Formats: sequence, structure tokens, C-alpha cells
Amino acid sequence: MAISCLMTNLLDRSFPHLSGDLTIWWFSPRTQRVRDTQQLNHACVQELIHRQLPEGGWPFTTDTTQSAVEPTALALLALPPSSVRERDAAIRFLLRTQNANGSWPAFSGDDARGSGLTGLALYALNRCRAQGIVGHKAVDWLLRTKGWESHWLWKWKFRTSDRHVRFDPDKSGWPWVTETASWVVPTAYSLLALKHARGISHQDLVQLRIRRGVEMLYDRICPEGGWNAGNGVVYGLPLAPHADATALALLSLSSEPPNNFISASLDWLGRRAETCFAPWSLAWTVLALDAFGHPTPLLTDRLSSIVDPAEANDCATLAVVSLALRLPAGENAFRVAHEA
Amino acid sequence: MTASLGLAAGASTTALLNRPKYHVTRKQPRSRVAILRAESYSHNLEGILHSGLELFHLDLRGKTVLLKPNLVDYIPGNHINTHPLLVAAAAECFRRLGAKNVLVGEGPGHQRDTELVLLESGFSDELHQLKVPFVDLNRDELVAMPLLATYTGMDRLWLPRSVLDADFVVSMPKVKTHHWSGVTLSLKNMFGVVPGAKYGWPKNILHWKGIQESILDVCATVPVHFVIADAIVAMEGNGPLNGHPRPLHRIVLADDPVAADATCARLMGLDPTRITHIRIGAQFLGNVSFDRIDQIAEAVCAPAKPFEVVPEFEHLHVTSHAQAGFLI
Repeated sequence: MAISCLMTNLLDRSFPHLSGDLTIWWFSPRTQRVRDTQQLNHACVQELIHRQLPEGGWPFTTDTTQSAVEPTALALLALPPSSVRERDAAIRFLLRTQNANGSWPAFSGDDARGSGLTGLALYALNRCRAQGIVGHKAVDWLLRTKGWESHWLWKWKFRTSDRHVRFDPDKSGWPWVTETASWVVPTAYSLLALKHARGISHQDLVQLRIRRGVEMLYDRICPEGGWNAGNGVVYGLPLAPHADATALALLSLSSEPPNNFISASLDWLGRRAETCFAPWSLAWTVLALDAFGHPTPLLTDRLSSIVDPAEANDCATLAVVSLALRLPAGENAFRVAHEA
Repeated sequence: MTASLGLAAGASTTALLNRPKYHVTRKQPRSRVAILRAESYSHNLEGILHSGLELFHLDLRGKTVLLKPNLVDYIPGNHINTHPLLVAAAAECFRRLGAKNVLVGEGPGHQRDTELVLLESGFSDELHQLKVPFVDLNRDELVAMPLLATYTGMDRLWLPRSVLDADFVVSMPKVKTHHWSGVTLSLKNMFGVVPGAKYGWPKNILHWKGIQESILDVCATVPVHFVIADAIVAMEGNGPLNGHPRPLHRIVLADDPVAADATCARLMGLDPTRITHIRIGAQFLGNVSFDRIDQIAEAVCAPAKPFEVVPEFEHLHVTSHAQAGFLI
């Protein structure tokens, strides 16, 4: 009943024309009640297991059999230790698809130059204690790779003629695709991986690269706090942050000393969460707020009420939802940066 | 797409752009454009659209139609996306015209959570009511395709299976000015078929390779069979996200994306031949000159006040000299 009232209030604020009508399709029948998070998480895991491809990876959607690294790494993180066979298959898939240069492609069949998902793949393997020599190669790739805005020619260009996007090219993170600029999500994934990497010899280089990446995130923050893809201000106008990018950036910064960038972004994310009903963004939001010790039960309840594992077509979303639903059990797969 | 670090980093010079680099010609001897009047976004759009589509005598029986709207992000009060009611009306019309399947596909370039944009922009509601499937082109199955033009210097792009399998691709842009490319119309709208799962958010490689060049390469490789441009409320100024709404009360239909964009530019008070991708596109993707375009509904008329653009694109405004010849 309490949740029903909350939903109605939130809907009134977000969609005034709906007048609290909960029969609109994307909530119905999923919002009829808040389900037990443990049961729902179990259903998510079962659905993920059902969708795992024979080669061990996961596709983004159920319409294809093309494995992709992001849903695979997220699903690997979401699977409980009891799913031994499925986890092993996922780990073998990731190990098999690592490029010779240490990076990961974005999907099966992709070219071998490396993608912005390398950090996530490495992080997932690290969490499963499955890195070893694979991890060293990946860390080396992460240390070698940076956004092209850091190249002297582009630095000069961005400082002289091309000044409509506000950013400091000295502060570079990681790109989605090599030989392009750095962006928030691949930088967040890479920071998580480097901060959690174990047994790496050249720690000084790792720490330096982490600093540059953290500085890049602070540099690209939106004026009101939070992050979008990576442009806070364009043509003198502030751009709006996005919940998922903000949450990921915050997760990668959770071991950093408290500061105004982080607190403003947490404030923004908390406000945004009040009207967020999309599972992907809401699940990331819950994980980030929890990592900073903010209470999330109401948000987790809402997440439970809007997700139907059998209907969720996107495997990456299903995996992140599963990770968020594990919070009531005290498990946050992204709270690890504190350990580094 | 606003996230454009490296936007001007395309190495090509104008001279290089002007050298033909296409391996396909999609240009027809003549093109047809219909400018329809529509006062507002309402449920009678279907009737207006259907009467306009009948002018083209399209044979869509048994075909799979992919509607590609411009769905960027959701910012309350900003007219940044193709309106969901127009997309829903188009879906209904194409079904009435006998299409076997009608689906809507888009790969937003800035916002990763496509479902959130769909929910908050009202698309989910409209598409669900009509039971029209939506494909997130950012996360679709990908196929490597050789590029049929090489202005970017790239030899191939990974493209979504749903786009390649469609028989009839309809580009449905929101008519807007754009701070990196001057305008974003039916040709620029096709950036949305380039998958984020491979190229990221934003699809930054297209900026580094040159926006104008990338538009040409993408549109050479993915044919646009038809255009339905949303100019009921357009956008001027610092588009595609932060411009101001500019009501034009028009929908532009065309069987040629270059002719559609040229017509939209004229409606905006801009000279299409000064917009690089339209000018070069006129060599092989469609027609820009008046004498090759049949206006089969309302005539083109330039606005009393041209659309505002950012300073870098002031030169796109129609001069009196060009206006005298009406931008042929």
C-alpha cells in the first residue's frame, strides 16, 4: 500500500496527465505489487542462465545470438557462486575473446584493436579471481590507451580554434574506440579495473593513469553535478547529466576522498532517482547510492515492481537489475574500489 | 548529437570532399516532395499523413518498413525528438498501405538508456498501443558492411541487422539546426543507425572522421527510401539539444533524402547548396535543384525570418542574390 502511494505520488509529479493511473502499459501488470527481491533476483539469474549462449557469452538482446562483452561481463558479475558451470563458461568466453594486444572487443567478430569495454571485462574477471597473465596484458593495454584529445596536435587545436566544448585535453580518460576522444563510461569501467587490479608490478604507472582518469571525470562533470556521455558544457550551455553515466562515474570514484564533485553528483542522482522508472538507469543508480552508504530500499522496491525478468529483452539490463537486487543481502559488486 | 569532441577533427578539406568518392548512385532523374500542412501534434496526423503518402503511390505490399525517427534524449519542454504521434501515425499509414511489418528503430547517440528515453518521451506509450515493435539499434545484432562511399577513409562499418534486413527505410528527422553540421535532417538522422555497442556513446568516430564525410558514407551504404520530416515544431539556434522551438506547421514527405533536406533547408531560410553533405550528396544520393524536384503538394516558401544558427553557420543563410534565383 505504501509503495502504491509512493508510485502514485511520483507519477503525479512526473506525468501529471496520467493522474496516478497505474494501468499504463510499462507498469502493468508489473507494478501491481512489489515482489520479494530475493525471489525476483533468483528469477533474473535463472533468466540469464537460460539466455547464455553455448559459447559462454551473452548477447545484448534475445533477438540475436551474437555475444557481446558488456552483457557477458555484467552477467558474470551477477551470477551467484553456485552457478559454477555458467560462470566458468563465461570466464572461458572472456579469456578466449581477449585480443592479442590485451584488450577486449565489443562483441564476437569485432576487430581486434580494442574497445572501451576492456575495463569492464577485466573488472569482471578480477572479481571472479580469474585474471593472472590475462590481467597483466589488459592492464598494459589500459595504461597505453588514452583519449586522442591528449595528443599534442589535438591539444593545440582544442586550446586554440575548437573551443566550443568545455574540457581540458590534458585530463584524458579512455575512449570507446581507439583513436577517438575519451568518454565517461569507458573511463569509469577502466578506473574500476585499474583500482581493483591485483599483483601489478608497475604500480606507479597505474596510480598515475588512475589520477589522470579521475581528473578527466571531474573535468567533464555537468555544472549541476552528475555526468552524461562526457560533455558538461557545449557552446556555453550546460548539458543535462544522465543517471547511468553518473552512477558509473560515482562507482569508479567511490574510493576517492569526499569532495564537492562527488557530493553534488550524489545529490543530483538522488533527485533524479525520484522520477526514474527505467530499469537500466534505476539499477545503476541504486548500486551507486548504496556504494556511498545512501539508503536504497525504496528504490530497490520500485525496481522490483517494474521489472519482469521474462519480459526484459536486454540481457545487460537484466544483469544490472540482478546486481542491484542483491543489495538487500549486503552484496554490491561495485563496492570494491574501497579495497584497492 | 551534442557530444562532439573532435567534431572538427575530420581531416578532409573541402577540396578533398568535392572529389567523387562514391561507388553507388542512388540519384533518380526526378524526385518528388510533398509539403503538408499540420497545425499541431494531434491524432488527426494519420489522416494528413495518409493523404500525403497516397500522392506517392508506394507499393509496400509484403515489405518490412523500418521507421527511423530522431530520438536523442528527453528534456522536458524541448522539441528535440521526432514527435511520437507522428511516428505512430506513420506506422499506421504504412500498415494501411500493405506493409508486412512495420518497426521503429533508433540508436540514440548520447543517452545510453534507450528505454528511459522511450518511456519519458512518450514513445513507449504510443508504440505499445499500436503494438509496433521497437529495435534499439545500439544493441542490435551487427554485420560488417563495406562502405559504398569513402569520404571518411573508412572501408567498412558495423551496422544493425534490422536496418540491413528492412526493405524500406524511412528517415523521420526532426527539422533542426545543428551546431556541428549546420542542420540535422533526413541524411544526418541516419547517424542513428550506427551502433553504440560498437562505436560508443557518442559515436565519436564519426566526428573524428568528419561529420559531413560520415553522413555521406553512411547514407551511401544504407539507402533511405523515403522521408517524413517533422517540421510541425522545428528547432532553431543551438540545436540539436539546446535550440529554441520554431513552429513551421509542416510535414515534409519525399522519395529522395537529398530533395527532402534541400526542401527543409529552404523552409528554414537556408541555402541547401551551402550545406556540405547536401551539396556533395546531390552528386549521387539525390536531387537538390528545383528543376529536378516535383513539389506535389504545397509550394516551398522561405520564411520571413530565417532560422537562427550558431555563428559558424551564418553563411548558410540565404542571401538576396541567391534568393532571387530561389536557391537553385
